[in-house]
Amino acid sequence: MAGRAEDPGGGDGGAGVQLATWSVLGGAVVLVVALIGVRLEHQPDTSRDYPSRPLIADGEVVLLSSEELDDEYYPCSDCHEGEPTNRTVRGLEDEHEDHELAHGDLWCLSCHDADDRDSLHLADLTLVDFDESWRLCTQCHGDKLADWRAGIHGKRTGHWRGEKRFRTCVSCHDPHDPPFRQLAPEPPPRRPEQIVIHGATVPESHHEES
Amino acid sequence: MKSRDRRAASRAGEAAGSTTRRGFLKGVATVGAGAAAAATASAASDVLGFDIETFLQKNFRELSDEQLEDVLQRMERKYSAQYGKDVRVAATGPMDGVLFGYGLDISRCIGCRRCVYACVEENNQSRDPEIHWIRVLEFEREAIVRGIELEDGNPYYDHEKVPADDKVYMPMACMHCEDSPCAKVCPTGATWQEPDGIVVIDYDWCIGCRYCMTACPYGARHFNWAEPTLPADEVNPDMHILGNRPRKKGVVEKCSFCIQRVRDGRYPACLEACPVGARKFGNLLDPESEIRQVMRTKRTFVLKAELGTNPKFFYFYG
Repeated sequence: MAGRAEDPGGGDGGAGVQLATWSVLGGAVVLVVALIGVRLEHQPDTSRDYPSRPLIADGEVVLLSSEELDDEYYPCSDCHEGEPTNRTVRGLEDEHEDHELAHGDLWCLSCHDADDRDSLHLADLTLVDFDESWRLCTQCHGDKLADWRAGIHGKRTGHWRGEKRFRTCVSCHDPHDPPFRQLAPEPPPRRPEQIVIHGATVPESHHEES
Repeated sequence: MKSRDRRAASRAGEAAGSTTRRGFLKGVATVGAGAAAAATASAASDVLGFDIETFLQKNFRELSDEQLEDVLQRMERKYSAQYGKDVRVAATGPMDGVLFGYGLDISRCIGCRRCVYACVEENNQSRDPEIHWIRVLEFEREAIVRGIELEDGNPYYDHEKVPADDKVYMPMACMHCEDSPCAKVCPTGATWQEPDGIVVIDYDWCIGCRYCMTACPYGARHFNWAEPTLPADEVNPDMHILGNRPRKKGVVEKCSFCIQRVRDGRYPACLEACPVGARKFGNLLDPESEIRQVMRTKRTFVLKAELGTNPKFFYFYG
């Protein structure tokens, strides 16, 4: 402190105090810089050497059939076997009145086979099992077939590497009325003004508009 | 116990005890390497009023395999006792030749928030105060055509049924940026990007400064302002040290791509919960993966591409 008093403008007590303050500040800066240096030196090594872990092999693809299949209607032959077939194009009647039919110009026998009631048929009348109904759908929706095969359209569960379980078209779409149904959403997150932590609320400046 | 196997294999050629253990604490904690040592350490913690072993624990990336094993066992003991169930804490590492990428089909998302709550359950998020790693933003359809302004997105929509008329939805969580601003600003090295692209957090090294939250351009990080609440019967006991293990008050958390699932080859929980199949996940280095098929055949974009953060989360029009 005494040495500092010899600086230009020294002798004055106020300037001495000022200089002392500066030197203390300077010292603090040096200390902080040194500490940062230490801190940086001790930054963790970012190259944790992971032992080699092989890629899991890709597994088989499992096609999940629709859970809707074993509903009250299937097998169709239970009611339709032995019944005369009316091939006149018409809307849904009697037992099937609760079904909405809104799928282009299609009607029952476009997909369901009149002679083999428990099967569907393609446009060329090839019989198709209900489990393979996707083969019918993709006759028209070929773009979706390509996307579904690539894993872009539709839902898969299981493993990104390993066994994959695919849904087919009818798992999500009602073939009689294909657009996806609206759903009730899960509850929204709390707004900032609704949050109370230790009896304190979020200040108004942090409230959000919506 | 894949992770344990991994470490055992990597150390197979080394003689036991070749690593010199230093420090009085490790002496206390590992001499005997059994229940007696654990009891001593926990007695010391009781006297000090905090868990001294956790306090002195090295950063995840500096832990030797043996130290990591000790840490995992300590966590398993702690969480199993705390929640009264058999908790497993893994440290499963990344797979060779894997870089994770996520795809979200915004032409298909209906805003039902099933993903949000599947994530909460899978990843042991606090129920109160509520923490959601995924936020689903609702936009006017015409606004999307003009270009998305994230600030116009409303996460609080509450319709009876979704999708609401003339609205579109965009779920957001961690983008797992290759050049992640959060990792750059972290003063303690508590958050970083793993070789498979997952941006992770060492919750024991997070000091709660929240620099990362300020740096993140996507609002993906969440802070535990109070002690998190996690009902014991809802705890997911299948944990990863860098993912869904329980957090404490004062630390930051965020989406980890379900590290505890995806490193075992499984899909993330949000993907499996999505009723419309809008979520896609896979290996960006595999040309046949679902995510690469999306990028090859669909129009994709990333949020705030101009920032150069290089997100691994891609939105697309299916």
